[in-house]
Amino acid sequence: MPVFRAALALSGSYYLAAKLGFALTPPGSPFSMVWLPNALLLAALLLAPLRQWWVLIAAVLPAHLAAELQSGVPMPMTLGWYLGNCSEALMGAGAIRLVCGRPPRFNAFRDAGVFLFFGVLLAPVLSSFIDAALTTLLHWGEGGYWTLVRRRIPSNALATLLVVPFVLTWAQGARLSPGAPRRYLEAGIVLGGLAAASLVVFNWLEPGAGARQAPALFYAPLPFLLWAAVRLGPTGVSTANLLLAAAALWGAVHGLGPFVSGSPEDNARDMHLFLIAVTVPMLLLAALLAERRRVELETRLQRQQLAHLSRVSLLGGLSGAIAHELNQPLTAILSNTQAAQYKLAAGGEVDRGELGEILRDIAAADRRASEVISRLRALFKNSDSQQQDLDVNDVVREVLDLAHGDLTTRHVTVVQLAEEQLPKARGDRIQLQQVLLNLVVNACEAMSTDGAHERVLKVETRRGAHDGVQISIIDSGPGFGASAETLFEPFYTTKPHGLGLGLSISRSIISAHGGRLWGSGAPGRGAAFHVDLVGALPGGHPTLVQ
Amino acid sequence: MHGVDNSCVHVIDDDVAVLNALARLLGAAGLPVQTFASAKEFFAQHSPEQRGCLVLDLLLPGASGLEVQEALAGEDCPLPVVFLSGHGDVVASVRAMKAGAVDFLTKPFEAEALIAAVRQALARDGVAARVASLTPRERQVLGQLVEGKLNKQIAAELGASEKTIKVHRARVLQKMAARSIAGLVRMTERAGLRAAAK
Repeated sequence: MPVFRAALALSGSYYLAAKLGFALTPPGSPFSMVWLPNALLLAALLLAPLRQWWVLIAAVLPAHLAAELQSGVPMPMTLGWYLGNCSEALMGAGAIRLVCGRPPRFNAFRDAGVFLFFGVLLAPVLSSFIDAALTTLLHWGEGGYWTLVRRRIPSNALATLLVVPFVLTWAQGARLSPGAPRRYLEAGIVLGGLAAASLVVFNWLEPGAGARQAPALFYAPLPFLLWAAVRLGPTGVSTANLLLAAAALWGAVHGLGPFVSGSPEDNARDMHLFLIAVTVPMLLLAALLAERRRVELETRLQRQQLAHLSRVSLLGGLSGAIAHELNQPLTAILSNTQAAQYKLAAGGEVDRGELGEILRDIAAADRRASEVISRLRALFKNSDSQQQDLDVNDVVREVLDLAHGDLTTRHVTVVQLAEEQLPKARGDRIQLQQVLLNLVVNACEAMSTDGAHERVLKVETRRGAHDGVQISIIDSGPGFGASAETLFEPFYTTKPHGLGLGLSISRSIISAHGGRLWGSGAPGRGAAFHVDLVGALPGGHPTLVQ
Repeated sequence: MHGVDNSCVHVIDDDVAVLNALARLLGAAGLPVQTFASAKEFFAQHSPEQRGCLVLDLLLPGASGLEVQEALAGEDCPLPVVFLSGHGDVVASVRAMKAGAVDFLTKPFEAEALIAAVRQALARDGVAARVASLTPRERQVLGQLVEGKLNKQIAAELGASEKTIKVHRARVLQKMAARSIAGLVRMTERAGLRAAAK
C-alpha cells in the first residue's frame, strides 16, 4: 500500500507545514511569510501516478481543515483556500506532467525550465486569481483584490521553488554525490560554509544595516551556492537553496538581517524576490551542468560499446584462425588419448613411463586450450576499462599467439624484437590487445598482395620517452600512398569489406590511455604504426577508473 | 603390403604437441613414423627413393601443405598424402583431392580415420612403387591385364607374339608380388591406381 503510506506522509507534512505557515503569518495579514503546503502537494502529485492523485488530494483535506480551523479561520475561508491550494497544485502538476510525460528531472535543463514556467510562474499566478477572489468575497484580512494577488504570487512561487526540487531530487534517489567519502566531506564543507555565510548576512547584522551594506553582503552566500551547483548537482543545489531560504526567514522572523526595514508585507515581498532571484539561476545552472555530465557519460558509454563491437567483429574475422588455435590442442588430446587406448588394448606389459608422458601432454594441451578460451572470453566481454601496470612484451606475445593461425595461413613471418627489462606501461590489457590485434591484422592484409616470400611482420617494443613504452608494428607491404593521417579518419578504408573504423577506434583507445598512435613509412617500403604508452605509476596499484 | 624397407609415415606439423601425439598414435598402430616440424626440415632429408606416405598439416609456416604436395608431384612416384586441416577449408580440400591426396581429415579426427587413411596411402605407395619398377613395356601389359584382356588380345594390341606377352605377364605378376590376375586387379583397385597403371 505505498500510495496510502505516501498519502499519510503527505497529510502529516502538510499539517506541519500549515502550522509553520500560520506561525509565520504577520498579524492581520491573510498571507504567511512562507506557505509550503501547496508546494508539498505539488511535489507529491508530480511523484505519484495520475490515477493516485485523487487519494493525495483527499488526504490533504483533513490536514488542511485541522490546521486552518485550529488557527481560527472560518469554515468557508478554509474550504476556499483548500480549493485555491489544490487548484494550484493540480494546475502545476498537470501542466508539467503533460509536457514532460513523467516526473521532471532536475538534471535536465528542459525539465527544469518546464518546472519553472508552469510550476513556479503559471500555477501560482493563475491560482492566485482564484484564491484572491475567494478571499475578497469572504472579506477575510486586509487589502484589495490586486494587493492580495500581488502578495500571494511571490510567496507561493518561492515555496514551490524551494520545496519541489528538494523533494523530487531526494525522492528520485539522487545522492549528493556518488560514492567516495571525499565527496561527502566536500558536500559538508559547502553546506556548512553556506550556512555560516547565510547566518552572517541574515542574522548577525543589525536591523536595517543590510540597507546600507546590502550590495556587498548579499553576495557572501553566492560562492557556496555556485560551488554547490557545479560540484554537488541538482540535489546539492536544492538543499543549499532551502538552507539559504531558512536562514533568511529565520533572520526576518527575529527582526534581523536586511529584510526588516519596511512594513511586514514589504519585508516578506523583498525577501521572496531576493530568494527567487538567487535560487532560479542556481537551479538552472545545476541542471545544465548535470545534463552535460550525463551527455558526456552517454558518449563515453557509446564509445565503449563501439570499441567492443569493433573488437567482436575483429575476432569474427579471425574465427578460422582461432578455431585452428583450439583444434591444435584438441587434436593433441584426442590423439594422445587414443594412442594410450591402443597401447592398453594391445595387452602385455604397460610402459608406465610412457603412459605418464602421454597424460602429461594431455594435461598441457588442455591447459593450452583453456588459455585460448579465457583469452577470447576476455576479448568478447564488454567490460569497463581497467587500468593496470602491464608487461607490454606479454601483451604482444598474447596477441601474436591469438593471430598465429592467421599469420601462418597468410605466410607471414613474424620477427619480434622485444627490449629486455622493458618498463611496465599503464593501460587496459584488453583494449591494448584490441589495438595491437587490429594493427597486426591490417598489416597481414596489406601484405597479402605481395609475393609469398617477402611477408615479414616486425613487432618491436622499446623504452619510450618519459619512462613510457613504444610498440612498433612494421610490415613489408606496399605501404600507404595517402597521408598517414587520413588512415585514422573514421570510415576511411582500403579493404573491400572494411568499415574503416578500426584505426579510428584504435586511436581513440590509445588517446584515452594518454598515449599516441601514429603511422609512418613511404610508399613501397612497408607501413609502420607506432603506439606510445605512458609508463606505470610509481608504486601504482591496479585501480578501476571511470 | 608396404614391403619396401625404407617405407614409413612422414608426419609434418609445426605444432610440437600435435606432432608428438600423431607419432605416438601411429606408432601404437604399429606403423613406422618419422616426424618433421616444418616442410623445410622434411625436404632437407628427402630423396625420391624414400617410400611410405606423408601426413601433412594444411597450415604450415613457410611452405603450406598444398605447396609441399605440389613440390613432390614432379617426382616419378610421389609419396601419397593424407591432409590434416584445422578447419574444414572446402577450397583447399578440393584442391588437395584433385592433386591426388588420399584423404583430407579435419582436426580433431578419430584415430581410426587417420589410421585407415594412412594404411590406404601406404598401400597405394607400395603398389605405385612396384608399378614404378616395371619397364614401360611391362606397364603397358599391366594396363591390358587389369582390363581383363587375354594374352592373345594383348599380343594383337601391342603387336607382339603371344609368347613374348606370356613372359611379360609372368614378370609383371612377379614384380607386383601378385599370385593371380584377380589379385593384381584387386591390388591396383584398392590402391586407387587403376588409371595410373595404364
